[in-house]
Amino acid sequence: MNGYAGKILNVDLTAHEYSVIDTAKYEKWGGGHAIGSAIFWDLCKDKTIDGRDPRNVITIMTSPLTGTLVPSASGRVEVQGIGLQSYPVAWYTRSNFGGRLGGQLKSAGWDGIVLQGKSPKPVWIDILNDEVVFNDAADLWGTDTWTAQQKIWSKLGVERGVGDAWRQVSTKAKDGRTTQKPAILAIGPVGEAGSSIGALIHDAGNGGGQGGFGGVWGAKNLKAICIQGTGGVDVADPTGLIQARITAKEDWTANDDKGPENFASGFGQTVSPVAFWPMPTDGMRPQACQGCINGCRARYASGVGNESSCLETSVYMGYDIAKNGKPTAATYEGVDLLQSYGANAFEIKHGLGYIRALLEMGVLGKGKAIDSSLDYTQLGDTVFMEALLRAISDKMDIGADLQDGFIRAAEKWGRLDEDWATGALQFPYWGLPEHSYDSRAELEWGYGSIVGDRDINEHDFNRIFWENFLSAAKGYKPALTAEQYTALVVSKMKPLDPDPSMLDFSTENMYSEAIAKLVSWQRHYSRFWKQGALYCDFKYPDFENLNRPDASGLTGSGEPDFWNLVTGQDMTFEEGMELGRKVWNLDNAIWTLQGRTREMVHFAPYVHDTPMTMGEFGPNYVLPAKVDGKWEYANVAGRKIDRDGFEEWKDHFYSIEGWDKTTGWPTRPTLAELGLDDIADTLESAGKLGKEQ
Amino acid sequence: MSEQPKTDVREDGVTRRQFVKGLGAVSATAVFGGTILGGLLFPNGVMAIPASTGYLLVDMKKCQGCNTCMMACSLAHHGEQNLSLSRIQIVQDSWKGYPDDIGIEACRQCKDPKCVEACPTGAMHADADTGEVRLVDADKCIGCMQCVEACPHGSGRVIWNHEEGHAQKCDLCANTPFWDHKGGPGGTQACISVCPVNAIKYTDTLPGDDGYEVNLRGKGWAAIGLSTD
Repeated sequence: MNGYAGKILNVDLTAHEYSVIDTAKYEKWGGGHAIGSAIFWDLCKDKTIDGRDPRNVITIMTSPLTGTLVPSASGRVEVQGIGLQSYPVAWYTRSNFGGRLGGQLKSAGWDGIVLQGKSPKPVWIDILNDEVVFNDAADLWGTDTWTAQQKIWSKLGVERGVGDAWRQVSTKAKDGRTTQKPAILAIGPVGEAGSSIGALIHDAGNGGGQGGFGGVWGAKNLKAICIQGTGGVDVADPTGLIQARITAKEDWTANDDKGPENFASGFGQTVSPVAFWPMPTDGMRPQACQGCINGCRARYASGVGNESSCLETSVYMGYDIAKNGKPTAATYEGVDLLQSYGANAFEIKHGLGYIRALLEMGVLGKGKAIDSSLDYTQLGDTVFMEALLRAISDKMDIGADLQDGFIRAAEKWGRLDEDWATGALQFPYWGLPEHSYDSRAELEWGYGSIVGDRDINEHDFNRIFWENFLSAAKGYKPALTAEQYTALVVSKMKPLDPDPSMLDFSTENMYSEAIAKLVSWQRHYSRFWKQGALYCDFKYPDFENLNRPDASGLTGSGEPDFWNLVTGQDMTFEEGMELGRKVWNLDNAIWTLQGRTREMVHFAPYVHDTPMTMGEFGPNYVLPAKVDGKWEYANVAGRKIDRDGFEEWKDHFYSIEGWDKTTGWPTRPTLAELGLDDIADTLESAGKLGKEQ
Repeated sequence: MSEQPKTDVREDGVTRRQFVKGLGAVSATAVFGGTILGGLLFPNGVMAIPASTGYLLVDMKKCQGCNTCMMACSLAHHGEQNLSLSRIQIVQDSWKGYPDDIGIEACRQCKDPKCVEACPTGAMHADADTGEVRLVDADKCIGCMQCVEACPHGSGRVIWNHEEGHAQKCDLCANTPFWDHKGGPGGTQACISVCPVNAIKYTDTLPGDDGYEVNLRGKGWAAIGLSTD
């Protein structure tokens, strides 16, 4: 089994025992989320349980590409299970983090980890190659994620720093030596409280934030998993893979010796840490997950802010500027606190926005309608972020109400309807916070999120927004016209016919079948190629790549070529898309059993009722659109998602997916053509099989 | 190659490494004679080993810590991606401040290689057929790990191959059964070829002691907004 380790670790936290699942049993699903969902389906008998129930099954999965030379596909890990975060139902959901833990897990001889049950007392799991030990975590419980990881290193005799690093990992010669520090995934005080805001943190800044898996681990009394491996990952064609990697670097990416930055292409960019905060001037380096072709985060001379990237770096800056007039140390320290307390960055970012709105409304504070003794005059300073995270961790003051997130807190306070209607709660889909890309403008982001389980966090079609935004800021035009860009992208959206109207974000087109096809394509591509095979969202898909003479990126050929070099299979791009459709249907079957119906699939009221006038990046939102019959990069801000129009769009979407239009449930013909007859049987037994259309 | 014991620990609790060390400072040349070691034995017993004709230079401030070089090295030499078998090592501490968060441990092809001097069998030697690159003849290695212990530089640059039970080290890709490129001095090296940020460079000029760590960050790096000093 080239690429695969061959074994999945199946942990019984209740009994502190483990068994081995043969990866071959699930190999047909590929890897990552696909295998994770398939295992969840088999092992979690009652899909309606609460996420904190010991019977919740959490799967942590790599793919055959993890730990290999495949560019920007070596470092990601998928986590799935019943979450705690979404509203009104905490859907079966997923998160994903980077770094080096996936590679260590493969090196230790495991493709993934399954977590079941609940430990009687706090525990941390020590995985060293094929040995698995359950350790008492009493002295770690209560520590932050960074302290916990460093304490575990110390317990294992691993020294800090980058000095003489070679060590024999055990007393057995067969286990070999390593210079690599153990890779650890841990929860902090927020997760220990069982809060839906709890995240999983690895090293300084790799986070699985969405879904509330930190709180799930807390409910299971699981503090950390530590992994060390000294084995290797085999591939089918080593020579071919090495050459393909070199070709990818030489012919498909910019680097500091050649080429401009290329915002439209993630894969083609030069290395560049993505951060919204002002970059420190006393020294920094780019830093990357294992195997990445161009790293997206940084480490700094001060050590503060290490490995935080992208939106994380913006979480506290606005509040810091509002209070202090400019970014201060709080901008960076506030984010470090999120990582160390193990908290969901997006939830806190928009949660703070809600807190500010409540303060402005005069309803929050000591003796107010929402009685809280936190010193809100310090909002924007480091001390306030710590006070808020401590309150959540200790379930004290406002923290008690925030245990299940800001939406449920608003519900407790009797304010949900009002604040969701005005947009004071900027949580547009399933009670999750907005990802900075307003659903009313960037349609595929909102639609894809609401037909699924969470904020999609997939930048496939978002790159052209950034290309327009940044090129305008820097004073040049995008390399491709809107017509050229849309023609190029749709040519790569196999197996669909290349219909450019799939990328027409105009208001006239926003409820169309074409936009439904766009969303459907993205669901399938993501479910296998990105969340199954684990090609990183920041680099894939590669549609437009200015390093190429024809500007055509490697999507369509790159993904299957690398997959086949590793696995020795002969998978086509289209076969991967079909596998993604299969996983997407499996996930919808789980949501169906959890109680999803078509009527539930709608946005927060403000999205439907209020035109977008101001987004996170200003009043404009530029995307490709046909205006008076001509393609241009047009401003699509200023609109709302009409309820009737959205229902029309759902009809198109369910029809494309082969789901029951009345309920949104999968149908037997659709499941049968995907080889999922057993899932159809289960849905039918539950009275939840969609009617054939 | 001699058989390796099943464990590294003798019954009396002493590791094999400690046991071999305990034999005392027995000169390799006294036991086996200088010519086997591939060097020139002067009348006063001093070994002169020809200098390598190729070297790796690294820019530790440029490294992005992706470990791609390590995966490429082990894949090219052994057909598997295994960080423990890589002949170049990237060591990281996520919480340290730049530039102390990353170290690159690459073999220096030392002018006076302690690893070669320490080897009792001549397995570790300057190889005349490949430009005097210091490398290990695995068939002659008895697994005493003297070379591993002898490397004086930071994290030792001689690697212990626990899967096959012999020492190994950077050979400038002179022998890469899983990569069909001409390596060695004057050829191409896998780590250099794959490094996404070009933090490793080849030279045929013997660096001074401080010359192995270089600044490879130029105008392009500055244009990205990253530190060039």
